[in-house]
Amino acid sequence: MQSIYLAIPLAPLLGAMIAGFFGWKIGRTASHIAAITGVAVAFVLSVIVFKHIVIDAAEPFNGTVYTWMVSNGINFQIGFLIDKLTAVMLIVVTFVSLMVHIYTIGYMHDDPGYQRFFSYIALFTFSMLMLVMSNNFLQLFFGWEAVGLVSYLLIGFWYKKPTAIYANLKAFLVNRVGDFGFLLGIAAVLMYTGSLDYAEVFKQAPSLSGRTMEIFDGHAWSILTVTCILLFIGAMGKSAQVPLHVWLPDSMEGPTPISALIHAATMVTAGIFMVARMSPLFELTETALSFVLVIGATTALFMGFLGLVQNDIKRVVAYSTLSQLGYMTVALGVSAYSAGIFHLMTHAFFKALLFLGAGAVIIAMHHEQDMRKMGGLRKYMPITWITSLIGSLALIGTPGFAGFYSKDAIIVAVRESSLAGAGYAYMAVLIGVFITALYSFRMYFMVFHGKERMDDHTREHLHECSKVVTVPLILLAIPSVIAGAIFVDQMAFGGFFGSAIVVDESHRIATEVTHHFDSWWGLILHSFADYPVYLAAGGVFTAWFLYMKRPDLPDMIQQRFALVHKVLVNKYGFDRFNEIVFAGGSRLLGGMFWRVGDEKLIDGLVVNGSAKSIGWFSSIARRFQSGYLYHYAFVMIIGLLLLLTWIVFR
Amino acid sequence: MNNEMAVIEMPNLALVMPEMFLLGMTCVLLVLDLFLNDRNRIITYLLAQLTLFGAVVITFSQMGGEAVTGFSGSFVRDSMGDILKIFIYVVTAIVFLYSRQYLQLRNMFRGEYYALGLFGVLGMMIMVSAHSFLTVYLGLELLSLSLYSMVALNRDSEASTEAAMKYFVLGAMASGMLLYGMSMIYGITGSLDIKEVGSYIANNGANNIILSFGLVFVVVGLAFKLGAVPFHMWVPDIYQGAQTPVTLYLGAAPKIAAFAMVMRLLVDGMEALYVDWQQMLTIMAVLSLALGNVVAIAQTNIKRMLAYSTISHVGFLLLGIIAAGPDGYSASMFYVLIYALMSTGAFGMIILLSRAGFEADTLDDFKGLNERSKWYAFIMLLIMFSMAGVPPTVGFFAKLWVLEAVLNVDMVWLAAVAVLFSVIGAYYYIRIVKLMYFDKAEDNSVIVADVDLKVVVSANGILMLVLGLFPGMLMAVCQQVLA
Amino acid sequence: MTFEKIIFYLFATILVLAAVRVITSRNPVHSALFLVLAFFSSSALWILIEAEFLAITLVLVYVGAVMVLFLFVVMMLNINVDVMREGFIKYLPIGVAVAIISAIEMGIVITGNFSGDKSPALVRKGADYSNTEAIGQVLYTEYLFAFEVAAVLLLVAIVAAISLTMRKRPNTRSQNPSSQVIVKKEDRLRVVKMDAEGKGS
Repeated sequence: MQSIYLAIPLAPLLGAMIAGFFGWKIGRTASHIAAITGVAVAFVLSVIVFKHIVIDAAEPFNGTVYTWMVSNGINFQIGFLIDKLTAVMLIVVTFVSLMVHIYTIGYMHDDPGYQRFFSYIALFTFSMLMLVMSNNFLQLFFGWEAVGLVSYLLIGFWYKKPTAIYANLKAFLVNRVGDFGFLLGIAAVLMYTGSLDYAEVFKQAPSLSGRTMEIFDGHAWSILTVTCILLFIGAMGKSAQVPLHVWLPDSMEGPTPISALIHAATMVTAGIFMVARMSPLFELTETALSFVLVIGATTALFMGFLGLVQNDIKRVVAYSTLSQLGYMTVALGVSAYSAGIFHLMTHAFFKALLFLGAGAVIIAMHHEQDMRKMGGLRKYMPITWITSLIGSLALIGTPGFAGFYSKDAIIVAVRESSLAGAGYAYMAVLIGVFITALYSFRMYFMVFHGKERMDDHTREHLHECSKVVTVPLILLAIPSVIAGAIFVDQMAFGGFFGSAIVVDESHRIATEVTHHFDSWWGLILHSFADYPVYLAAGGVFTAWFLYMKRPDLPDMIQQRFALVHKVLVNKYGFDRFNEIVFAGGSRLLGGMFWRVGDEKLIDGLVVNGSAKSIGWFSSIARRFQSGYLYHYAFVMIIGLLLLLTWIVFR
Repeated sequence: MNNEMAVIEMPNLALVMPEMFLLGMTCVLLVLDLFLNDRNRIITYLLAQLTLFGAVVITFSQMGGEAVTGFSGSFVRDSMGDILKIFIYVVTAIVFLYSRQYLQLRNMFRGEYYALGLFGVLGMMIMVSAHSFLTVYLGLELLSLSLYSMVALNRDSEASTEAAMKYFVLGAMASGMLLYGMSMIYGITGSLDIKEVGSYIANNGANNIILSFGLVFVVVGLAFKLGAVPFHMWVPDIYQGAQTPVTLYLGAAPKIAAFAMVMRLLVDGMEALYVDWQQMLTIMAVLSLALGNVVAIAQTNIKRMLAYSTISHVGFLLLGIIAAGPDGYSASMFYVLIYALMSTGAFGMIILLSRAGFEADTLDDFKGLNERSKWYAFIMLLIMFSMAGVPPTVGFFAKLWVLEAVLNVDMVWLAAVAVLFSVIGAYYYIRIVKLMYFDKAEDNSVIVADVDLKVVVSANGILMLVLGLFPGMLMAVCQQVLA
Repeated sequence: MTFEKIIFYLFATILVLAAVRVITSRNPVHSALFLVLAFFSSSALWILIEAEFLAITLVLVYVGAVMVLFLFVVMMLNINVDVMREGFIKYLPIGVAVAIISAIEMGIVITGNFSGDKSPALVRKGADYSNTEAIGQVLYTEYLFAFEVAAVLLLVAIVAAISLTMRKRPNTRSQNPSSQVIVKKEDRLRVVKMDAEGKGS
């Protein structure tokens, strides 16, 4: 089994290397075959692992592959922890990644950077697998940074486009903030437990729960709370939680396949995965859990609103991703980790589906992304239409679809929670359901139904995309429908993850309360006795009414509520605030350091000064090397004599 | 009298199998070479490589287990020795491989280079496995004699002859000092056996001034072999004067042997005099770091620059020994092994760029290498980064562990000095990188070389990166053999 | 003072004086001869401590073989001593200073530690004791390894010496009689046919 574990991340890495280093030589087809084969191998092996760990219920594997180095008694290792949590993540990552790889053949068909793109996404798969398979913080951090790097490279994939460069710089900088917190969190873990190994850290965690530390004099803080919040700040960066969410909408500047793979299905869920993985730590500190809950609820609700005013098809999906990530975070906050991961899984399928569907529309529209110039596409692109409809239905939580089970589980868990902030969160997620349905179907109606608003030239060329595009859509549509019903029993409520996720006794009530609806159809029936279904239906109806029945109404509303609209269009002013305060402040500070510190002190004094003095010394010392043998001998004797003198008269 | 005859024991010949094999094969090579004409000289070369390979096999098969002494305490076989020997074989094999084409192109492809080279290897092996002052000295002389004559091998070159002469006279002086120091210590302890000397000093107190007096001479002898300041004066002249293959030979494996000598004499033999030699080595280490790094900046000849770089690396090597303890020694051992590989890589690049009638030994010859060959510019970049200690190349870890060992014994100032001069040193390594990547090439001739040379130079450079990514294994070996 | 001591100091004095003359003498031949004298004196000292084999070997090998060879070389090479001495006066003061300092230091070290009563008295063996045999016994048993290595060392010295001297010098104008003998007319002479001059004008 161990060699299988090793092969899972290495196969995509090999593919990435072949496509990256030799792509220029072996050509396009060979490159994408190499990358896809690598990922396909990883997927097949992941299925085997899933069977081994989940279905055959084998013991979790925790082992070291290679000790990178030992310093001061701390082991820096590469190792794998394979339990049910990892197995689920492996399936999700490799499956979505494989679909996106295949889809890319069609989407990037004419792009000059074809091989580069395949190399990057295969490399991303490798990094993501390393992240989820890690058994220690070091490797986690490695994977964390590696996915961040590939994300940066891919957002700026079209590096000649100024907006893309701006977006990838922004993503990079915002992630830096999160990563800084994450790194501090890891440092705190290392400082107080002396180990980077999960098992060791989790073993020691309960003994830390009462202890405090003083960062500022006189303020005693719980070590665990500080550590967990720091770690969560990392998750906020990667999983785009308010206020570190600003990079995600802009990341849509990258090619659509990566929006699906990285910025919807996998990388952005790394934060969710990480917190779930750290559940033994988070469970010990309610303060941190409340913090997680409030951040998640805020993201879930307020990012949903923004989806209502976007006209770019990809951005609507992007804000929807933000909102859904908020839901997952909320689940983490109320200790319903398994529900969070469950939603992560179903979301990965239907959000990848939605993105790829949007991508298919964009291809068909000749890279036009404005929804106001679409409409009525249903006729021209039947497969895309159907699959997108399935994706949207799954997203809004239509009973029976995958999203329904996972979202419902979260809402129930929040309702039952007694944590501080749970009331606010419950309100947020309920309203969120309505909003989700509204923006999803606003997009759906604007794109696939109604008047055909595109120009004639585009209309003439409208047709369904090739097989490499539609097949992944269909393949993704299947789990978007059925994945929820299959796994809801165990994953959402049961102890599916076993030892991988730890839930404290006092928090357990919330997660198990609905367990008596023990079958998937029982849940469907029960749902009609609760709010969410009606809220979702209301959202769909509102969307239909506003965009199909009375298309004149949205403009009117917009004028009536101009102020609200302005706030939403400006995204609550986060970007402006960051631009002025952080970016401006940094530039000011940097300019100061540059002029005073760098130009005068460092360049003038240290660099040029020392360079001059060293050059001078060097030219002097050179003269000693006269070339005369007796000089050399003499220097030796003097050296000997000095040492002797020192020893004798010491 | 008959009683004395009876106590003669049969020496355990199995212990010296690698030495015997190497000596036997070298003699065969020497004789065989007489019957070969210049066209078939390649057979000599192949036989030399075969010999080294055989030695690797034999030493490897003997590896492991406790240290065993033999020949009435003259010889010892232990794990440290085995590892060092294997590295000596491997490095020498690489050196022979690099040299072949160079020597062929200059009509210098003669059997003596390989015969003397192998004799030198024998000398190094004897030094590595020495367990008595006498054996250390004889091994050293065997190595030195081979080196002197190898430097002089190209008699038609004035520079080589001059370098050989300087090396010989200064080397003889240093050997004399070493021998004088050894005789002093022998006079006090009454033994040549390193272990007995060690236990005598430990039992009878270390504050005997004659012991310290003898120690000074021994340390000076060692410092000369290592090339530590102020006993370094030979290094730049000999590096520059000798033919590149000889410099390559001289700069790599003998450093490993010198490290072994330091370990045998100072650590095994005179650890009780730790305070004395630590102070002396500290002075020399600081001076070496300072002078080596600073003067290297002013050089225009890359061989000479690498000579000064050697001096600075020796300073680093000494730091680990100063820090003492298993950590310090293993850090030093790691450093010297890595250094040997880096140094072969750097000279290998010089040989790669040279061709008949042209020596690529000035910095200008590296200008614009990136335009001529992206791949070799990258290889040279890796080697230079490793020498400068830039992560993720292995040179960084070599420096890191030495510094860590120094910090663990609370010699913060020493670590600070080392870091300061490494930073200064980084300048001239990175200057080569700058020349390669940002300057215009002065000659645009295509790099022509045989396949084996190209492949091994590339592998050598890549190794710097690979070992940098996975330094744990080699380090674990070093720690294990010195635990 | 016993007779032995008188002999010891006599030869010791000669040894030191001869050694000084080796480096101060103007004529290299004289230097070499003084070195022979120094070897003789030290050989006498070794006889005094009953190391007959070493004493005889010193005379046989060094005086008999090495120094004679040395004298040949010195006489054949015609070394210009004055050139070699150019820097002598210039560096004399500093050289003397170094010598004095090291002498003082050695004095301090040695006088403080090597006093007569500390070192063990010489063990006198009888007339039937063979110094040569004693050396022979340890040489091939206890010091076998060192002995063999020393043998290899000599081998390397021979190889080195031969490889450095046996070579074809560039630009030498030596004759090769055998090739001169086997040369044929065709190798050297070329007959060119051409018309006689002045006929056609």
